[in-house]
Amino acid sequence: MIDLSRTRRLATLPLIAAALLLGACAKPQTRYGDERGVETVTNQFGSTDLQMIAESMTRSMLQAPVIVSGNLPIVTVQEVKNKTSEYIDTRAITDSIRAELQKSGSVRFAVDAVAMQQQVEELERQQSELYEKTEAVEKGRMLGAQYRMEGNIVSIVKQTKDVKDVYYKFNLQLWNIRNGLLEWSDEKEIRKTTSKG
Amino acid sequence: MRNMALALTLMACVLVAACGAKKGFEKKGFAYGCPIGEIKVSDMQDLVDAKTSMEGRRTTIAVTEIRCTMTGDLLKIDAMLNNDSTQVKRVAYKFRWIDREGMRAAEEEAWKPLMLYENSNYLITAVAPTNKSTDFRLILLSQE
Repeated sequence: MIDLSRTRRLATLPLIAAALLLGACAKPQTRYGDERGVETVTNQFGSTDLQMIAESMTRSMLQAPVIVSGNLPIVTVQEVKNKTSEYIDTRAITDSIRAELQKSGSVRFAVDAVAMQQQVEELERQQSELYEKTEAVEKGRMLGAQYRMEGNIVSIVKQTKDVKDVYYKFNLQLWNIRNGLLEWSDEKEIRKTTSKG
Repeated sequence: MRNMALALTLMACVLVAACGAKKGFEKKGFAYGCPIGEIKVSDMQDLVDAKTSMEGRRTTIAVTEIRCTMTGDLLKIDAMLNNDSTQVKRVAYKFRWIDREGMRAAEEEAWKPLMLYENSNYLITAVAPTNKSTDFRLILLSQE
């Protein structure tokens, strides 16, 4: 007499083994991608938005009369206020803008408020008895900025059951510190829509 | 009387010759304000072919016009994109900047996504990142 239930159990064993093997093969893959590619994983603020804003603002600012004049204006970076409903590291945006402007060779940057503490500490360290007096940097030689860069980013989010629409507006301004005049300002708008199905 | 007729004929000949002569581009090595080097460019399509390329997935979006000018010491470009289909099309673009020696003049730009409505044109404007960027290529990538 053949034990049917035992045979059936034995027959399922290879199937289970095959399924386990397949499961083991389907492990997540990690690959390098294009860091400048269009990123649309979600419609939250992403790398493409940051890069587009930085590029657009830099190229626009390079056409501002105070920069075209060729006098290598000294600029300090102030805060870009995040008025959106999501977390955005606005420092990353201003850092990118500053790096691109610096590479253009048309602008010089003075130490900003964020980096001031480190600057002062280094100056004071060099004033200590540990350093050669003739080589150590002197106090009172720092150059103040002529212009300050500040801005804000706002967003409008609209959502229904199937559609989410996000609109970002980034505004950047260059103010003349001496006379308080607005020397340059520009905006970059971005719209992203995610729909189901 | 005969002298008068001769003078009028000569003037007419000069005028006809002036109109008939093929008008060249504004200065040697440039066409529509854009640097072309030694490339032979006789019309807008030649310039578009010389300055445009596609990477990755091909798009049906066509570049129809490119014009260049200088803003300060930076090269500024206007490029007209056309979607002649009856569907909304999505494309990404970037400019590649080249220096006088033909080397890459600046870091690779980010791809910038665009949406073009059906049967529409879209003007993109770009400014060179540095004054060392004396030439460029406009690169398109389908986002369909």
